[in-house]
Amino acid sequence: MATAIGAMTHTEEDYGLWSWLTTVDHKRIGAVYTVAGFLFFLVGGLEAVAVRTQLAVPNGTVLDAESYNQFFTMHALTMIFLAIMPMGAGFFNYFIPLQIGARDVAFPRLNALSLWIFLGGGLLLNSSFFLGGAPNGGWFGYAPLSSIEYAKTSGMTFYVVGLLTLGVSTLIASLNFAVTIINMRAPGMSMMRLPVFIWMVLVVAFLLILSLPVLTVGLLQLYFDRVWGTSFFSPATGGDPILWQHIFWIFGHPEVYVLILPSMGIVSEVLPVMSKKPLFGYSAIVFAGAAIGVLGFGVWAHHMFTTGLGPVPQVVFSASTMAIGIPTGIKIFNWLGTMYGGNIRFVTATYFSVAFIAMFTIGGISGVMHASPPVDGHHQDSYFVVAHLHYVLFGGAIMGIFSGLFYWFPKMSGRMLDEGLGKITFWLMFVGMNLTFFPMHFLGLAGMPRRIYRYDADLGWETWNMVATLGSYTIALSVFIFLINVIKTMRKDKDAGDDPWGGATLEWATSSPPPAHDFDVIPEVRDRDPLWHDRDHGIARAAVPEHNHIHMPPPSYFPLIVALGALLLAVGSMTHLSVLGLGVVICIYGVWGWALEPTD
Amino acid sequence: MSHEAHAAESHEEHPPTTIREYVMIGLVLTVVTIVELWASYNEPILGSLLVPALFIMSAFKFAVVVAMFMHLRFEHSLLWKLFSFGLVLGTAMILAMTLLFWNDATDAVGGPEFHTGSTLNEASKPGGAPAPAKH
Amino acid sequence: MAAAAHETQPATQHHTTMGIDNRKVLMWIFLASECLFFGALISTYLIFKGDSLVGPYPKEILNIPVTSASTFVLLMSSLTMVLAVYGAQHGRLGMMKVMLLATVLLGIGFLGFQAYEFTEFVHEGLGLTTNQFGSSFFVLTSFHGAHVTVGVLYLLSLLLASNRRTGLGHDRALHIDLAGLYWHFVDVIWIVIFTIIYLIPN
Repeated sequence: MATAIGAMTHTEEDYGLWSWLTTVDHKRIGAVYTVAGFLFFLVGGLEAVAVRTQLAVPNGTVLDAESYNQFFTMHALTMIFLAIMPMGAGFFNYFIPLQIGARDVAFPRLNALSLWIFLGGGLLLNSSFFLGGAPNGGWFGYAPLSSIEYAKTSGMTFYVVGLLTLGVSTLIASLNFAVTIINMRAPGMSMMRLPVFIWMVLVVAFLLILSLPVLTVGLLQLYFDRVWGTSFFSPATGGDPILWQHIFWIFGHPEVYVLILPSMGIVSEVLPVMSKKPLFGYSAIVFAGAAIGVLGFGVWAHHMFTTGLGPVPQVVFSASTMAIGIPTGIKIFNWLGTMYGGNIRFVTATYFSVAFIAMFTIGGISGVMHASPPVDGHHQDSYFVVAHLHYVLFGGAIMGIFSGLFYWFPKMSGRMLDEGLGKITFWLMFVGMNLTFFPMHFLGLAGMPRRIYRYDADLGWETWNMVATLGSYTIALSVFIFLINVIKTMRKDKDAGDDPWGGATLEWATSSPPPAHDFDVIPEVRDRDPLWHDRDHGIARAAVPEHNHIHMPPPSYFPLIVALGALLLAVGSMTHLSVLGLGVVICIYGVWGWALEPTD
Repeated sequence: MSHEAHAAESHEEHPPTTIREYVMIGLVLTVVTIVELWASYNEPILGSLLVPALFIMSAFKFAVVVAMFMHLRFEHSLLWKLFSFGLVLGTAMILAMTLLFWNDATDAVGGPEFHTGSTLNEASKPGGAPAPAKH
Repeated sequence: MAAAAHETQPATQHHTTMGIDNRKVLMWIFLASECLFFGALISTYLIFKGDSLVGPYPKEILNIPVTSASTFVLLMSSLTMVLAVYGAQHGRLGMMKVMLLATVLLGIGFLGFQAYEFTEFVHEGLGLTTNQFGSSFFVLTSFHGAHVTVGVLYLLSLLLASNRRTGLGHDRALHIDLAGLYWHFVDVIWIVIFTIIYLIPN
């Protein structure tokens, strides 16, 4: 059977279902990641709209307390783990090999494995809605909100098992990306010639590689608490709920940078191309990104100032948190410096990038406010924090991802997205997000706590809550118009050409969409902006040899089998040992077949 | 990460260690383990130096296995940097967590002493030994 | 020795930027990640040290002679493992197979000691949920044991594969080397665990 698969050719024309299930092509995997991430983005968005509808007027009746808890928890989990990270992973998959001049990632089959485990984990987490209730203790799952005493439904067990599954997928993908970037670069592509996007992916990969295992341990302990009756986090028998908070935020704060750094990378790609100028201060922006990554491991307890850390930890974590503002500020000045004096083309991608800088700065500044423990004590668990994190994650991460979607859609599909509809999308989204999230600053300072499902009429919160809800509908409308744009674009002929933007990086040196083997000839890199360098120095692209036989790895169904085994393991850990055992057997069979499968 | 595009001549070579040397290393590790056990059983002799001594010996064993058996010593410096990043971060985390919980008043919440103790820090830990770092 | 090297290990087929095989880079980064995994488990153990509300307490129950024996077994397995790698690198296949088998058996021996220790503890009244020591001890040591189990399966599959007609192919030395890295790492983690749980006076 394995040889039969090996004999199957992976041609451009083969777009059957089986070819997608067995694909190891980083571009197809990236495309599935992006599409799946976007679908989950819609789901998470609908959850947010439901939450906002409930809060539009005092004492709303759309959701009851229990379903409200499930909706805000699943909104966060979906947006973080199933939307922003996978859409990022989609770009990583698609563009790492293209931007570093490789034919594929280092481990194509592991890449497929991480995709299938991600899809399984995402479906598993969302299936909880129909199987006794979704997670309802917040994405941070603080003990005792996550303990079996206070969360009796299986929701938080789904949380534990779902996040463990997604963690495995993310770890595999991150290891793969790190090795690819370190070891698969085209000749001449030194580390300091890597596109900034790739640098940010490398930082993100290491953040995940080094922080996910800590979350894994925390989740396993929570699993033992919930299923086997240990008391890691329950104080009555000697446990410590604060331990969970430490473990969670040792992962959770690097995770915040995992969400924002890819968008910083995208902006660093879009702005130079659209300003027709090389990036201002390349090394500064790279080192700032790496510094954010390293410092990101030393700030976790700023989420816990109100737990009584004691004066010394408060000072240390306050100082390290404020220190992160420095590299972030460097980046913002570098982006402004890139645009300064440039011949700027204001296309939709530029709009989103510029909005990213402005909105992220607002979120960043309110973040520095929280770094001060006395101030944080007032903000903690109020809507001010909701405003802050949405300026960073919506104004930052999502704006950056949309910038990337408009910038790279031509490369991925061969078609230009409609600019007119694109600008309508932008303005609706920009106005909508500010309408939604800016009033939350006022609400927070007026004392409105987070995560309450209704509030009384005489507290002075009605106006801004209504405005925020109308804003969220505006965002929904903008996403709807983006969908129309995509559908309309996919129905027209390919009109993008190889290089619609006059790009500087290697992905624009191949066709749109690229062939399965990415490059007919592996490019030689002579500069940080290789295409601009070659254009300015009159260096022609290397000629394609007449007999250009390029060997690409054959498709494989073993990643799918191992992922199925992993999913059964996850399901089994919530249901019955026999399912778990079956999962182990299938995993072992899959890994064995994987190891013996010929890849040449 | 400045060692760009070095065609690795050293990669195909094996660590220049002989069977005899490997056995000797194994012997050294065994001897250190025996010393560790001896020290652990004779707590009064080393006194307050015992815990640091034990940590130094286990760090030595750790380093020898990683450097020689895992032949990290003979590898490209990149691998050393990658691994030590995780190792340093992991050790720093253990240290930070231990320090953060050093005088943790919440430890005693479940015990009866918590409510009777005059100050939080004096709330004794019910049952068992004091915190590890207090030796 | 260099001549033998060229005989048994042909040049890697795929060119890489750093000149190191991708799989080796992957393994080392993975081990860096594992440092954080065990770091979090060890942190938990240390934080809960002395927080047990009821007995049995560690000093009443830990059997240091038995664990010293199992520690010695794991240490010796590292030695046999490194000799298996030596055999694979120098084309001494018989030595490689014997040493792999020895490593597998020593690994199983270690797991046997662990099973014995766990049974004894349960017998003496220390279960997973008895107290904080029980919870953090069992979770830490059993996840280490799970790593040893994976290592045993890993080595066993290499042993089986090396007996096929085609053996382990042209990447033989690399395959054994990678398994060795994993195995030694599990061993060094035990060095730390042994010191922290057993040797430091409770």
